[in-house]
Amino acid sequence: MNSIKNVKFEANDEDSEKASNSYLMSLVVVIVGLPLPIINLIATFVFFLSNRKENYFVRWHCTQALLSQLTLFFVNSYSIWWTLSIFFGGEKFSNNYFAYLFIALFFNIIELITTIYSAIQTRKGIHVEWWFFSSLTNLICKP
Amino acid sequence: MEAQKVDMYIMSNAKFFNSNDVLTIKDRLLELDDSKWTLIQTVALKDPTTSLIVSLLAGQLGIDRFMIGDTGKGVGKLLTCGGFGIWTIVDWFSIQSATRKKNMEKLLPFLH
Repeated sequence: MNSIKNVKFEANDEDSEKASNSYLMSLVVVIVGLPLPIINLIATFVFFLSNRKENYFVRWHCTQALLSQLTLFFVNSYSIWWTLSIFFGGEKFSNNYFAYLFIALFFNIIELITTIYSAIQTRKGIHVEWWFFSSLTNLICKP
Repeated sequence: MEAQKVDMYIMSNAKFFNSNDVLTIKDRLLELDDSKWTLIQTVALKDPTTSLIVSLLAGQLGIDRFMIGDTGKGVGKLLTCGGFGIWTIVDWFSIQSATRKKNMEKLLPFLH
């Protein structure tokens, strides 16, 4: 889902700490809100709102974290909905269900690894661009 | 104000402010009259590390926000049990920055 492209970017220590926190926080919230994907999205959105007046580097990374969480929210919500409908709605396990579940799991693992990598790199002040999400972020977040 | 005094103030209090505010504070202090030195020293600044510890331990009740002087947000956090846990987690990552901002807001009136 994500590929990483490093781009040189100037940021001071506090900016890189805040940018790194946007990824770190989404990691912590994954642990807390594991059964409910909406919690990740709300937390990342609140963090984005609290940093909306910061400089471009911080805003950019908050937006990228938010967009990745938004995508995962749809993927995870659908898998939860499908699982619940199997257990409580009378639907049966099918190959399609397991295929979707493995894809969702794959997306989550890739997102987790990329998030950890981005948190480490942005803390060092290195600008990390993800495949697909960086282009979207560039459209939304203007300097 | 004397450069030596200003340097001493900056050295001992730099951790309470955002790094981009430190230069502004230094410039303003250098322009200030010596009579304001006592007043500036009496400004009670909050330690960002302490507020982070308070946020980790009592963030659910909004104590961290009360501590830095954000009473409105503190009440909001208290009534919603830390924004149903979400606000508490967000604050773990943003309370240090909020504390530094509050410190700057406290000091600003004395710098004019």
